[in-house]
Amino acid sequence: MHNWLEPKYLAWLEQGFLVTLMLSACAALCATPLGFVLAVARTARTGAIARGAAAYVFVFRNSPLLVQLLFWYFGAAAVLPPAWMAWLNTPHAVTLGTLTLRWPSFELFAGWVGLTCYTTAFIGEEFLAGMRGVNPAQGQAAAALGMSRYATLRYVILPQALRIATPPLAGQYMNVIKNSSLTMAIGVGELSYMSRQVDTESFRTFQAFGTATVFYVLAIAVIEVALVLWQRTGVRTLQRGRV
Amino acid sequence: MNGFDWLPALRYLLLGAFPAGPLGGVALTFVLSVVSALLAALFGLAGGIALAMTRGFAHLALTVVVAFFRAIPVLMLIFWTFFLMPILLHVDVPGLATVVCALALIGGAYLSHSVYAGITSIGDGQRQAALSLGLTRWQTLREVILPQAVRVMMPSFVNQWVSLIKDTSLAYIVGVPEFTFLANQLNNRLMVYPAQIFLFVALVYLLLCGALQWVANALLVRRKSTRLRASEVQAGKLMHELQNCR
Repeated sequence: MHNWLEPKYLAWLEQGFLVTLMLSACAALCATPLGFVLAVARTARTGAIARGAAAYVFVFRNSPLLVQLLFWYFGAAAVLPPAWMAWLNTPHAVTLGTLTLRWPSFELFAGWVGLTCYTTAFIGEEFLAGMRGVNPAQGQAAAALGMSRYATLRYVILPQALRIATPPLAGQYMNVIKNSSLTMAIGVGELSYMSRQVDTESFRTFQAFGTATVFYVLAIAVIEVALVLWQRTGVRTLQRGRV
Repeated sequence: MNGFDWLPALRYLLLGAFPAGPLGGVALTFVLSVVSALLAALFGLAGGIALAMTRGFAHLALTVVVAFFRAIPVLMLIFWTFFLMPILLHVDVPGLATVVCALALIGGAYLSHSVYAGITSIGDGQRQAALSLGLTRWQTLREVILPQAVRVMMPSFVNQWVSLIKDTSLAYIVGVPEFTFLANQLNNRLMVYPAQIFLFVALVYLLLCGALQWVANALLVRRKSTRLRASEVQAGKLMHELQNCR
């Protein structure tokens, strides 16, 4: 085991794993509320809004993430005004007490935007499926009680829809981690990129890819375990509520 | 687009260097998708049936293998097949074959999950009835369970095929000259119209995936309506006979 990989290369892989986790977490954090808004927009009574949201989902679900990332990285850079690009490319830093937030490189920024837009479409569909899974009689009963459309959504539909949508949402969060590997194509130094870097420098292909694979499986397993734990406690509170 | 000779570029994107050299571009993406979709369906059916027919340790081992393939990114699996296949097979394996292998394995893992779910969704009464009629376990699966299960799992097959089409773009990473690779190459050579090029690429993928979904929907809806009509005809006959009896 002592000649598995030199500490230097292990440190590279760990750093790549950290970037993967940060990027996935940021994309998931932004895509969840956006996906929620998208799902509500798809059920809107105004035809134009509902159609626009459906078109967004169709376009972003049916084109490859890699092409979308290349578009954000190369295409958006050419379309955006030069002043914006200059601002995006210069380093910025915000200091909050002891914590310093540094503005990411343009690669990371493009990867984050691409991953967020792509994931939003999928998460929106999961929320929509959850809302459709709630018995329509619930909405009618709420309307009969005189609740507004917003109140119905907030207090009747959503609490039930969220419970239905949680397992598929966990699946989407796993997909975000896996999909973040595609950002290596635009030069983000995440786990896959680093494993390839280690491979070309140390010629220890098996060890480099093996370690990266273990890291991915570990991250996915953590989400899976969290889901199982949530389901156990959720079922228990539900039963207690019934009693 | 002044001065830019776009007709040869478009031809290059669609076919690659085809008549003179190997097939590439959209045509290669299409071939790659069809081959890996068929292989994935085969793997998925075999895996799902194996999951349904095994018990105990074999079942657990199979579940772990399927879970492993579902847990790693497609890109990582492409790296693995690219690196391991030449070592295991002792021959020089072209990049194209490694990508087909990786896509078929990933798609097969996802599909075996849905095939297994489809088989378990068919009520146990069906299986018990078939067994008590004297059918063997295989006959039960083949003649009774699968024909019903296929209807349940058709949508997940279509979904998986759509994501396979999208995942063929990852062949770019090992230098297979498919559509995304050529588009990126063109973009690096021109450096002038990146937004237009990638919008065009996305549009072509949209058309491919949209067409697959549209065809699948049309077929599924037609099958459903013919089945409905058949049952209506049967009900009509039954009514007729009942009236004759009176």
